[in-house]
Amino acid sequence: MALIDQTATEITQKIKQGELSAVDVLDSALERIRAVDGRPGALDDGIKSLEDEKKVHAFISLTEVRARKQAEEIDRRLQSGIDPGPLAGVPVTIKDIFCVKDTLSTAGSRILANFTAPYTATSAARLEEAGAVLLGKVNLDEFTFGSSSESSAFQPSPRNPWNTAYVPGGSSGGSTASVAANEVPLSLGTDTGGSIRQPAAFCGVVGLKPTYGRVSRYGLIAFGSSLDCPGPIARNVEDAALMLHVIAGPDPKDSTAFERVVPDYQEALKKDISGMRIGLSPDYFNITFPDPKTGELARQEIQEDVKKAVYYAAEVLAGLGAEIVEDVPMPNTAHGIPTYFVISRVEAASNLHRFDGVKYGYRTEKEGRDLNEMYRLSRAEGFGLQPKLRILMGMYVSAAQYSEQYYQRALRVRSLIRGDFEAVFDTHGSYRLDALLTPTTPTTAFKMDAVYGDSLLMQYTDQLTVSANHAGIPGISIPAGLDASGLPIGIQFLAADFREDIILQASYAFEQATKDEAWRKVKPQVLQ
Amino acid sequence: MTEYEAIIGLETHIQLNTKTKIFCGCKADSWGAPPNSNICPVCSGLPGVLPVLNKAVVEKGAILAAAMHADIRLISYFDRKNYFYPDLPKGYQITQYDQALGSGGYFEIPMPEGYVRRVRIHKLHLEEDAGKTKNEQGRRLIDFNRCGVPLVEMVTEPDLRSADEAAQYLIRLRQLLRWLGVSEADMEKGHLRCDANVSIRVKGSKKLNTKTEIKNVNSIDAVRNAITSEIERQIKEVNAGRRVQAWTLDWDDETGKMWMMRSKETEADYRYFREPDLLPLQLDEAWVKGLIADLPELPLERRERFVREYGLPLYDADIITGSKVRSDYYSSTDASYGGDPKTISNWFINDILGMVNDLGITVDALNITPQYLGTILKMIDEKKINVATGKSLLKKVQETKQPPEAIVAAEGLGLVSDDAAIREAIQAVIAENPGEVKSFRDGKETLLGWFLGQVMRKTGGKADPKLTRQILVELLRG
Amino acid sequence: MSEEFITPEVFEHLVDLAAIALDPSQSDYLRGELNKQLKAINELIAIPIDESVPLAAHGVPYMQADAAPLREDCWEACENPEEILAQVPVSEDGYIVVPDIPHSDLE
Repeated sequence: MALIDQTATEITQKIKQGELSAVDVLDSALERIRAVDGRPGALDDGIKSLEDEKKVHAFISLTEVRARKQAEEIDRRLQSGIDPGPLAGVPVTIKDIFCVKDTLSTAGSRILANFTAPYTATSAARLEEAGAVLLGKVNLDEFTFGSSSESSAFQPSPRNPWNTAYVPGGSSGGSTASVAANEVPLSLGTDTGGSIRQPAAFCGVVGLKPTYGRVSRYGLIAFGSSLDCPGPIARNVEDAALMLHVIAGPDPKDSTAFERVVPDYQEALKKDISGMRIGLSPDYFNITFPDPKTGELARQEIQEDVKKAVYYAAEVLAGLGAEIVEDVPMPNTAHGIPTYFVISRVEAASNLHRFDGVKYGYRTEKEGRDLNEMYRLSRAEGFGLQPKLRILMGMYVSAAQYSEQYYQRALRVRSLIRGDFEAVFDTHGSYRLDALLTPTTPTTAFKMDAVYGDSLLMQYTDQLTVSANHAGIPGISIPAGLDASGLPIGIQFLAADFREDIILQASYAFEQATKDEAWRKVKPQVLQ
Repeated sequence: MTEYEAIIGLETHIQLNTKTKIFCGCKADSWGAPPNSNICPVCSGLPGVLPVLNKAVVEKGAILAAAMHADIRLISYFDRKNYFYPDLPKGYQITQYDQALGSGGYFEIPMPEGYVRRVRIHKLHLEEDAGKTKNEQGRRLIDFNRCGVPLVEMVTEPDLRSADEAAQYLIRLRQLLRWLGVSEADMEKGHLRCDANVSIRVKGSKKLNTKTEIKNVNSIDAVRNAITSEIERQIKEVNAGRRVQAWTLDWDDETGKMWMMRSKETEADYRYFREPDLLPLQLDEAWVKGLIADLPELPLERRERFVREYGLPLYDADIITGSKVRSDYYSSTDASYGGDPKTISNWFINDILGMVNDLGITVDALNITPQYLGTILKMIDEKKINVATGKSLLKKVQETKQPPEAIVAAEGLGLVSDDAAIREAIQAVIAENPGEVKSFRDGKETLLGWFLGQVMRKTGGKADPKLTRQILVELLRG
Repeated sequence: MSEEFITPEVFEHLVDLAAIALDPSQSDYLRGELNKQLKAINELIAIPIDESVPLAAHGVPYMQADAAPLREDCWEACENPEEILAQVPVSEDGYIVVPDIPHSDLE
């Protein structure tokens, strides 16, 4: 077992006890990256080789020099008797949607390929202040638009460490792949429609979307301002709780960050779950899927072994004393995707207005043009297809003549979706749930290139995660087994606003109860 | 000959004088700073940044809304106005679209002709300013220093009826803004900017016709000239049987010409939506009530009071209440002196204001405090000094910062009312100027003034003028 | 009357609003995808929604106590404005340089 195969909790404990040095852990991480990651994503990607197809390609920018300085500083502090913080010496990767000072902060896009951020996002800065060692920026769908990480302008895009012929999911695919491949124990991702939870499920790791406003969005290159949530990705629940505690909390730079005290999440983990009321909803076992041939919407059951995994988890939890409540109605779940198409696109189109070639990022080289031409060409040349698609849809549904029927309507449907959760979590309601237990995704990972290009189908993989973004509530995906082809299955817990403690508690209980199960001993393909 | 009337509405952008910008901690005033030196990630629209609302902007905006008698919304919202322009780094402006801070209200403008024009206010809202651009050899140079400076946009109903009224509106608005302390309102620095909407209609008609928008008229004169020119143009068009088109116009005050800006066939679609990065602005009802109660006496109220209580002519009262510090100075002088208010007014308008103009300061920065001025006036009344001495004392007090009594004592400036001393001086003047004495005695009585001047010189300006004149007449006439 | 799909004319208008210069192959692909998505979105129109259902700009409701306080009016100088300027593609003497805007038509 290499140093880097340990959990974040173990690493930081040993470092503080003097058993390990931060530099040693860093070197272990770098060695693993050299072994499994292959070449980082780049704009001029050349031809994909057979070699490429076996590697993870999580990274865009490996910031080795910077990381080494940080690790050396941690070791220096320890020697002087100063506590470097709760994440002392833990290597982490940062989804390249965050600005980190003096690093290329690209959003996976050509339009920011040359942008060096002059400031650091609050969530990343908090990791650094806690002693974490920032190893680099990892790859993602361009501007987080996608569910497979394939749309990045930086190719090769990340691959699933369990089977590199498959996608890692997205948009935080680089984050989950880097954690699943044991390159680092922790990664900072973002979740707007499921972008932490879905790739976490595909990659067999833990991914948590906090309550909206629990973690500051300052420095997160915005997609859907009312939906975006930075969150932790880890190999186990304890590590996720540790990281969440570090990054959560109010921020004077973010007006939408709640002025609420951050509880001790690690306390919550150890609590007994007997009596916890956990609901299962039939609305999460079927999805409305656009038929690839006809384009008509059809209702389909989710993948069989995914469904089985959820029911198995329910049994395990029941065995620990939880009360499983079945047939919980969540009637507005099916509206999640159409509503997301509208709200997120309106916000995205506006958020992407600033990429105009004027003051940073890509500007067209074509000379002698007037200003309007400069805008049009810079944006056409700088943005990939996915951003263009979202921008145009955003323009359409917010245009003056359509705004009422699309955007205003979608904001109302959002209330309805929120209403579903409020009803089931209501302590005086009919269900009085502490949490909902659902599958994270309708299927396990799909093959590279299988879905990309079909924007509709790609989006619908988020159907089971997106409602939590609309409602703002927290959600977590944890590994719950492997499917018949050896690909990870994820299950999801959802709870009421600011009840990250509940979903961590339930997740930890399941994790501990199943820690010796055979499937947990199987390693991802790249680590074999 | 058809008689037309002009229908004018004004949209003003008022730069608030807070210390910092509306959504970030950069300075609100960076006049004269090198380009792109007063910027930060937030106001330069870097990826990933978020706005955080400045408390003082809300306070000053609310004060202005209260002074305009507007309804102050307890919950107002910010919205995004999306469009592309190089001086707009985010590609959208954060503004307030449909649920703004203030709605309704009015502003009364007294016109020199004697009537009062009441202008209804449509809305008052908070928003951020854009940067500055300038043309240079076919390129645009952009400076973001001004991005994010807090603005209040105030839109009137089309209640103004002439270019003069529009000019007066700006003059009174500027006075009020400075009075309330919410803006420096210096039009040369762009603290107060104005767009005018102009249309005409046949006198007596109730209908509103197509209007044109004149953008960026940024001085009082420019407003007057631009509107006058546009009214003339529209009348010409209509008389020639053509229709007025909804153009957007640009006025060049130097050449006195109107240019047409690109006319938009369709209105720009700004795709307004609620700003998700800001929470609704919630004001405490008790706080708003307190704000309204604490409003200072407004300029026109004070002017009216000065006319009433001091018996001053309107002209004087208008000048004295031109600014709060001026009127405070006047009131303090009155409290100290207690004598004829018109006397104070004369000295204030002629001498004090003249002095502050020359020195380039405001009255509250004078070394001549209201108390000192009061003392000088008292000394004149008590005949301790004459008026000429009094005037020269002003300069001396300003330069030395000494109280006037001390200077009088030190320089022996006291009024010479000693009969014998004056006689002595007059005798000397008569003896030295036999020619003029003969002329006077021969009938040129206008020389009396000259003699008076000579005696004044002889006595270092200290002779009591009345007494001197009396004795002069006595001795000259023989 | 809701539009069933985005026509080439409407599409051109959107492209104009979005300030993006598309080539024909991209236009076709994008317009096709947009129309597919619109079909899904139009599903929203079928939902019966009461007028009383509020618009939710955010999912989580903000109570007064949760809201971050407004910012104090105190100057916070940016440490590194020159680094912001260093990101500008074309600059001169501290100014950001762009091509000129098409001239206003003259009267």
